[in-house]
Amino acid sequence: MLPTIFYIGLSAVLFVIGVCGVLLRRSTLMVFMSIELMLNSANLALVTFANQRQSLDAQIMVFFVITIAAAEVAVGLALLVMIFMRKQTTNIDTMTTLKG
Amino acid sequence: MELVIFVMTAIVAIIGAIAMLTSRNAVHSALFLLLNFGAIAILYLLLQAPFLFAVQLIVYAGAIIVLFLFVVMLLGAERDEEDANPIRWQAPVAITMAVLLVGEIIWVLVRQSQDSIARVGSSDSDFGSPAQIAQALFTTHLLPFEVASFVLLTALIGVVVLHQRRS
Amino acid sequence: MTQIAWLIALIPAFPLAGFLLNVFLVRGERANGTVASLSIVAAFITTVIAVINLAGLAVESRYIAITLWDWLSVGQVTVSFGLWFDPLTAVMALLITGVGALIHIYSITYMHGDSRPGRYFAYLNLFVFAMLILVMSDNLFLLFLGWEGVGLCSFLLIGHWFDRKQVAPNIVPSEAAAKAFVANRVGDAGLLLAMMVIVSHFGTLSFFGSDGISGFVSKLTDASFTTISLGALGNVGLVSGIAFLMILGVVGKSAQLPLFVWLPDAMAGPTPVSALIHAATMVTAGVYLIVRTHVAFDLAPDASGWVVIIGATTALIGATAAVTQFDIKRVLAYSTISQLGFMIAAAGMGAYTAAIFHLLTHGLFKALLFLGSGAIIHGMHDVQDMRRMGGLRKHMPVIFLVYSVGALALSGIFPLAGFWSKDEIITHAWFSAQNVNVTMVLLLSSLLTAFYMGRQVALTFAGEVRDKDAHPHEALGTMKWPLYILAVASVLGGLINLPGVHWLNDWLNPVLHQEAELFTLNMGIFATVTVLLAAGAGYLGYRIYSSPITERLAPGDEDPAHYYLGDIWKGFEMGWGVDYVYQRIFVKPYRTFATFLHDVFDQQAIDGILVEGSAGMVGRFSQAVARLQNGNVRTYALVFLIGVVVLVGYIVIGV
Repeated sequence: MLPTIFYIGLSAVLFVIGVCGVLLRRSTLMVFMSIELMLNSANLALVTFANQRQSLDAQIMVFFVITIAAAEVAVGLALLVMIFMRKQTTNIDTMTTLKG
Repeated sequence: MELVIFVMTAIVAIIGAIAMLTSRNAVHSALFLLLNFGAIAILYLLLQAPFLFAVQLIVYAGAIIVLFLFVVMLLGAERDEEDANPIRWQAPVAITMAVLLVGEIIWVLVRQSQDSIARVGSSDSDFGSPAQIAQALFTTHLLPFEVASFVLLTALIGVVVLHQRRS
Repeated sequence: MTQIAWLIALIPAFPLAGFLLNVFLVRGERANGTVASLSIVAAFITTVIAVINLAGLAVESRYIAITLWDWLSVGQVTVSFGLWFDPLTAVMALLITGVGALIHIYSITYMHGDSRPGRYFAYLNLFVFAMLILVMSDNLFLLFLGWEGVGLCSFLLIGHWFDRKQVAPNIVPSEAAAKAFVANRVGDAGLLLAMMVIVSHFGTLSFFGSDGISGFVSKLTDASFTTISLGALGNVGLVSGIAFLMILGVVGKSAQLPLFVWLPDAMAGPTPVSALIHAATMVTAGVYLIVRTHVAFDLAPDASGWVVIIGATTALIGATAAVTQFDIKRVLAYSTISQLGFMIAAAGMGAYTAAIFHLLTHGLFKALLFLGSGAIIHGMHDVQDMRRMGGLRKHMPVIFLVYSVGALALSGIFPLAGFWSKDEIITHAWFSAQNVNVTMVLLLSSLLTAFYMGRQVALTFAGEVRDKDAHPHEALGTMKWPLYILAVASVLGGLINLPGVHWLNDWLNPVLHQEAELFTLNMGIFATVTVLLAAGAGYLGYRIYSSPITERLAPGDEDPAHYYLGDIWKGFEMGWGVDYVYQRIFVKPYRTFATFLHDVFDQQAIDGILVEGSAGMVGRFSQAVARLQNGNVRTYALVFLIGVVVLVGYIVIGV
C-alpha cells in the first residue's frame, strides 16, 4: 500500500483543477464537468481513507455520492437545456439575475 | 510495482483533467473527462474497492458522460464562447487561490504524525467486494439506500416535469 | 405715605400694561394705537399727581421711595427693584410721559396703513416703560436694566421696517438698527465696568439707599482720595476711574464723539420713533446719568474736563454736519447730536441745572421739529429729500407755522424756550467756567445751528416746489394736536427757569444743590449779543437758500456751498469722517472675515469635507462593496473560494 498522502495529494490536485475549471470556463457545460471532476476527487479521498481504516462505511458513502451525483447531473442538465432554449447561449456570464 | 501503476494512472488522471480544462471543444472535454474517470476507476481498484470500480465505470463513465455528450450535441455547444473575459482579475486570482488551497492541504498532510499516514495493510481479501458492500448496504445502511432511490425517482420526475409542454 | 409710594409704582406700570396688552391681546391698528396712547396718558396723569404730592413734601426729604421686591442677593450686595422719585426724576418723568403721550397720539395717524402697527405700538410702550425705569430706579443696576431696555427698543423700532431694503437716503433699516445697538453696546461696557468698580469698593449699587444716606453717592466724598493701582500704568483715583468709565456709557447712549455714528442712520426708523427716542428721551439718558451721579464728577475734575471737551467737540461736529445735509431728518439728527453736546458740555462744567433745563426745552422743540418733518414727509408721500421740496409754505401753512416756531426755538431766538436754556449754558461757560475755548466752540455751534435751521426752512418752505411730480397736501388728522401743544410749549418753555425767577433751579436744588447764578448786566449784554448773532446767522441761512440759486436744485445735486468750500464741505457732510473710519477699520474686515468663514470654512470645510465627505465616503464604500454583487456566478464562486482558502488557512495555522 502506498502512503495515503500520495492518493490524497492526487485528490487535492484534481479538486483544485476542478475549482479552476469552475472559475475560469464560461460555458455552463464546462462548469458542470468541472463540478463532476471535483466530486470524483472527493470520492477518491473517501476511498483512500476507507482503505486506510479498512472501513466499509466510506465505500458505502462513495456509492451514495455517485448516486446523488448522477441524479444531480440529470436535473442540472435538464435545467441547462431549458435555459439554453430561453437564452440561446450557455455563457454563464449572461445569467446575472442574482445581481444586486 | 504498485507505485509504478499509481504514478502512471495519476499522470493520466491529471493530464485528462487539465486537458478537459483547456480544451476549446466541448466534445473533446467530455472525452478527456471520460479518460479521467477511467483513471480514477483504476485507482479504486488499487485501493481495494472493486465494486466501486465497477460502479464508477457504469454510472460515471457510462451514463453521466453520455448525458453530457447528448446535451452538447443537442445544444450545438461544441465551440467555446469567444467573448473576452469581462473580469480581468478572475484568472490570476483563481489560480493563486487554487495553488494556495493545494498548498494548504499538502501542508496539513505533511504535518500529520507518521502513523496516521502510515500504510495500511490489506488484511481482508474480501474487503470491498460486492458481497460485503451488499451486506452493509441492505442491513446497516438500508434507510439511506431507500432514500437514495427516492431521490432518483424525484430527479426522474423532475426532469420530466421540467420539459413538459403546456397543453 | 404708602399710597403715594404705590402711585410711583403705577407710573411705569401703565406702559408695561400697554405693552403686554398690545402683545398678547389687542389686535387691529386702531385698537393698538388707542391702548398704547391711553396707557401713556394714564402714566402722565399719574406722574402729575405724583409731582403734586412730591411738592407737598418738605424740602429736606423731598423724595418718595418704594422697594417693590428684592431682586438679587450675592454675598453682601443686595440689588432690589426699587423706585425713587425725587425732583430730578419728576422732571424727567414729566418729559417722558408728556412728550411720549403726544407722540403716541401723533403715531395713530402717522402709522395708519402700516403693515405691523401692533408691533410698533407695543415696542413704543415698552420703550416708555424702560425709560421710566431708567429715570426712576434707585440703584445703578436697575438703571442699567432700563438703559439696556431703551437700547433694545431703539433697535427694535429703528428696524421696524426691517423688510425694506432701503429707506431714504441709502440706509438699510436692519443695518441701521444693528449699528445703533452695537454702538450702544460699546458704551455699555464702560458703564458695566463702572458698576463693577462701585460695587466692589462701596458694596452697594443703590444711589441713595432707602433712607437717603446709605447709597454709594453719599460715600463718594469719603472715597475722593482712594486710588486704584493699575500696576504698570500707575495709579488712578477711584472716583476718577468711575467717572471715566461712566463717560464711556454716556458717549454711547447720548451719541457723543466717538460713538455718535448710529444716530444719523437711526433715521431709518419711523419719524415718531426719531422724535421720541432720538430727540427727547433715550439720548438724554446719558445726561441724566451724569447729573444723577454728579457728585462723582464734581470730585473728579479730570473726568469732567474730558466731558466738557467731548461735549463741545461733538456740538461742533453735529452743527457742521447738519449744515450740509439734504435729508430733512438727517439735519435734525445731527442737530440732536449737536444739542446733546451742549448738554454734556454743560454737565461737564458743573452747570447741571442748565443741562437739565436744556434737556427739557430741547425735548420739546426737537420733538416738535421731528413731528413736523414727519407731517411734511407724510404730506409729500414719503419724500424726505429737501431738494425735492420747496414752496410748502403755500401747501402746508399749519406745518409751516409750527415748524418755524420750532426752528426759532432751536436757534435760540428770544423769547422762545431755546434762547433761555442755550444761553444759560453759553453764559455759564463764559462767566462761571471762564473757559474761552469752550465758549467760542459753543457759540460757533450755536450760530451754525441758527444757520442750518434757516437753510432748512428755506429749502423746505420758501420759493416753489422743485419736484414737479410732487403733490403736497396737508392732511394732519390727530397729528395737529401734538404739534400745536408742542409749539405752545416751545414758546413758553423758557418760563420754567427764567433768570431771577428760577423755578427749575429751586425745584432741583434738593438734588443738585446748586445755587442759581445771579443775573448780571454783563450776562444780559452777552445774551443780547449772542441772540443778535444767531438771528443774523439764521437770516443769512434763510436768504442764501431761498435765493434763486436753489431754484433748480434736484436730487443728486451738490449744495451750492460745496463749490466754494470743496472737500471741507464733504468732510462736514460725512460727520468728520468718523463713520468712514469705523467702516474701514471695523466693519469691512469683520464682514470679509464673516464672508470668508461662510464661503470657505462653512461651506467647503464643514459642509464639503465633514458632512458631504463622510456621506460620500460611506456611499463610495458601499458602492465598492456593491460591485461584489454583480450577479456573475463566477465572481460569487471566486469569493467563495477565497473564503474557503482563508478558513482552511486559519485551521492550518493552528495545526
